[in-house]
Amino acid sequence: MTARLTMRGIGKGFGGVPVLDDVTFRLDAGEIVALLGANGAGKSTLMKVLTGVYRRDAGDIVIDGALRDIATPREAAQAGIAFLPQEISVMPDMTVAENICLPILPRLGRLTDAAAMRARAGTILADLGFPNIAPDGMVRDLAVAEQRVVEVARAFAADARVLVMDEPTAALSERDAELIFGILRRLRDQGVAVVYISHYLAEVFRIADRIEVLRDGRNAGSFIPRDTTVEAVLAAMLGRTAERLFDAPAAPATGDAALEIRGLGWKGRLAGIDLTIRQGEIFGVFGLIGSGVEHLGRVLWGAEPGAVGGTVAVAGRPFRPTSPAAAKDAGLGFVTAERKTDGILPDLSMAQNLSAAFWRDYRVGPFASDAAERRHAQTWIARLGIRTAGPDQPIRLLSGGNQQKACVARWLHPSVRVLILEEPTRGVDMGARRDLYSQLQGFAREGLAILILSSDAEEVAGLSHRSAVMARGRIVRRFDDGTNAAALLAATAQTEGTAA
Amino acid sequence: MTANPGLKRLLGGQASGLVILLGFYVLLVITFTILSPFFLTGRNMVSIGANVAFIGLMAAAGTPLIVAGGLDLSVAAVAALTGVLIALLNAAGWPIWLAVGAAFGVAAVVGLANGILCTWARLNPFIVTLATMSIVGGFALILTGGLTKPVMVDGFNWIGQGRFFGIPVPAILMLAVFALLALVLRFTHFGRYVYAVGGNPEASRLLGLPVNAVQLTLYVVSAMSGALAGTVLAAMLGAAAPNAASPHLLTVIAAIILGGTSLLGGRGSVWGTLIAVLILGTLNNGLTLLNVSSFWQDVTRGFVLLFAVGLDQLRIHLQSR
Repeated sequence: MTARLTMRGIGKGFGGVPVLDDVTFRLDAGEIVALLGANGAGKSTLMKVLTGVYRRDAGDIVIDGALRDIATPREAAQAGIAFLPQEISVMPDMTVAENICLPILPRLGRLTDAAAMRARAGTILADLGFPNIAPDGMVRDLAVAEQRVVEVARAFAADARVLVMDEPTAALSERDAELIFGILRRLRDQGVAVVYISHYLAEVFRIADRIEVLRDGRNAGSFIPRDTTVEAVLAAMLGRTAERLFDAPAAPATGDAALEIRGLGWKGRLAGIDLTIRQGEIFGVFGLIGSGVEHLGRVLWGAEPGAVGGTVAVAGRPFRPTSPAAAKDAGLGFVTAERKTDGILPDLSMAQNLSAAFWRDYRVGPFASDAAERRHAQTWIARLGIRTAGPDQPIRLLSGGNQQKACVARWLHPSVRVLILEEPTRGVDMGARRDLYSQLQGFAREGLAILILSSDAEEVAGLSHRSAVMARGRIVRRFDDGTNAAALLAATAQTEGTAA
Repeated sequence: MTANPGLKRLLGGQASGLVILLGFYVLLVITFTILSPFFLTGRNMVSIGANVAFIGLMAAAGTPLIVAGGLDLSVAAVAALTGVLIALLNAAGWPIWLAVGAAFGVAAVVGLANGILCTWARLNPFIVTLATMSIVGGFALILTGGLTKPVMVDGFNWIGQGRFFGIPVPAILMLAVFALLALVLRFTHFGRYVYAVGGNPEASRLLGLPVNAVQLTLYVVSAMSGALAGTVLAAMLGAAAPNAASPHLLTVIAAIILGGTSLLGGRGSVWGTLIAVLILGTLNNGLTLLNVSSFWQDVTRGFVLLFAVGLDQLRIHLQSR
C-alpha cells in the first residue's frame, strides 16, 4: 500500500530551542494511528506543522506521492487534511446541515441550495451511522458527543482524507466515547487516514491500528497494539527522563495537617475526594484532561458556581469555599493554569502584579504606595531570579516562565498556609521550570503546604512527596512513598480498563 | 512597516500618549491664534473654560468607569433629569439646596441601578445604560412636558455663572473633579483595583479583588458627576431644558477615547481625558470664531477622533516591537 501521508525529517524550533528534531511520521489510507508522548514531547507541534499552523524548519511532507509545501491552514485544508482541536468548534446557532456543508455549500445559481444541503448532510450522517441526528436541528440543542459527530461529518463533507483529532474523547463519558470510536472505524473503512492524539492508553489500545511515540521531539518507537503492552509503550514515552529535571524529593513531611478535604463533591464532576496535606509537604494530584483534576483547584478556591459537598478545613479551621476572597482569608493561595487569561494583570507592572493579592499591605498611611510595592517586588525578583527590566516593567512583556514565577510569588505571603497550583509549568521553558521546581521545594521546607494539580505525570512524580491519581472525578489511586510517571499513567489506564 | 528608530523614540516611549495629546493641543492653540485675533484673549479663554466644564465633568468620571471595563451612556440623560428636578422642585416651593440634594439622590439611585444590573445581574453595560438613558431622558421630558423650566436663585446661579479670581466657577469645579479622581486613581488601593479589574476581570476575581464593588462604585460616581454637570448647566443657563444635555453624550465618549482610554478597559488616564476635553472645546470655539458652520464642526471632530485613535494604534504597535 502506498502511504497517504509521509512526513520526513521534520524539524521545528522556537527561539533556538528545538522542539522537533528529524521526526518521521507515516500514515496509510484506512488506518488509525495513535500519536503518543508525554507533555512537551512534540505531538501538538508535529500536528501543527502538518496542518499549516506552524511552518517547519526542515523536512518534507508528501501526500499521495506528491511533495506538498503546507504553509498555511488553508493549504492544509486544500491538501485534504482536517484538524479537529480538543475544544469542539461548531457553530451552535446554525443547523446541523449548515454546519456540515459549511466548507462546500451546494449552490443554486448565486444562492445556497438548502434542499441539496439537507439531503447531503442527511446522507453523510447516515453513512457515519447517525441517521437519528436531524439535519434541520440546531447544533446548540445536540449533546456534546453529537456535536463532535457533526464536526467529524463536516470534515468528511469537505472530502478530508487525513483527519487529525486531538483528545476527541476528553470531555465525553465512556458511552459517548464509544460513539466516537464507531465513527472512526467507519471513516477508516471508507479509506480516511486518522491521526488520534490521546493520553488515555486503554482507549488507544482499543481503537488504534498502530501507535507512534514521540519523546523530546524525536521518534521514540512504533508499536502494533496487539503485539505490545501498556508498559512497553509507557517506557518509550517516558524513557529515563524523569530524574533529569528534579532534585530528589526530601523525606515526606510529618507536620500538622494544613489542608483536610473530606468527601468533596461538586456537580457530579467531583465525588468523594479525601485528601490531607501536611505542613511542609508537596502533594501532587495527577489526572488526564476530563478526569476532574481541572476542576478541583477552582472548586477549592470558591471560584466555581454550584454547591460544594463535603468538608474542607485549613489549619484545623473549617472553611466553606464560597468565593476567592473567602479562600484567601482562610489561608489558601491559588495559581491558575491559564496564566494569560486568569493569572496576570497584563498592563500593570511587575511590582503591582506581585502585590495584587494582598494590595492593602503595601501602603503609606491609608494610601497605596509605589515604593512599598517596589520594595516587595525587588525582594522576590532577586529571590526567584525573575528576569525583568525592573519592577515597573509591564508584566505582559515578560516571558511565560518569568510571568509564572510572579504568579507564584504573589501568594508567598505570611497568611498563606496552603498554595494550590494548577499546571504549574504549562508553557514554561526548561530553565524556568527547573527553577520553579527547586523553589517550590524550598518553600515546602519552610513549612508551606503545596497542592499540585497537573496533567504532567513526570512533574507530579518528580516533585511530590505523596501523590494521588484522579479519573472520572474520583481519586482512584494513592502513592504515599513517592512514585514514577509510568505508575501514574498506568493507574489511569487501569481504571479505564476496569470501568469499560 | 519598516522600523524607524526616530519615529519609535518619538511615539513609543512611556507616557508619550499624553505628550502627543498635549502637543496637539498646543498646535491647535497656535493655529487659531494665528488665524483669529479674537482667539487668544482672556475673555475667550474664560468662555472656553466655562463651556467645556459641562462635558468635562461627565468625561472625568466616565474615564475610570471605562478603564474598569464599564460604560455609562445614561450620564447625559441623568444630567438633564437633574436640572429638570431642581427647577421643578424649586418651583414647587422647595428650598433650592434641598431640591439639589433630592436631584442628586435620584441620580445616585440611577447609578446604583446601572451598577447592580451591570455587575451582579451580569447584563451588558451598553444595553443597560442605553435603556436607562432612554428611561431617564424620557422622564425629563414627561416631567416638563418637553418645555424649558426657569431656575433663578441668586446663590444657585453663581455655580454656573460666577467667577472666582476671574476663573469661571464651572471650570474650577471641573478641575477639582479631575484632580480628585486623579489622586484617587494614583494614590488609593481603590485606584489600583480600577486598573486591575479593567485589565483582566477574571484574574482580578481569582485574586479575590472586589470586582463588582469597584464597578458599582464607579457607576454611582458617574451618575453623580452627571448630576453635577446637570446642576452646573442649569445654573449657567438659568433654566433646565429636558433635552439640552443628551446631544453631548457622544462628545463625552469621544473625549474619553481621544484621551487614550481603551474601550476594552485597563488603560487610560483622567489627564488624557482633560486634555481631550480642552482639544474638543478649543476646536469648537476656534471654528466658531472662524465662522465655520457647526455642521462642519461635527465633521472636523469626527476626523480628529479617527486621527487620534489611528495614531494611538500606531503607538501601541511601535511599543510592542
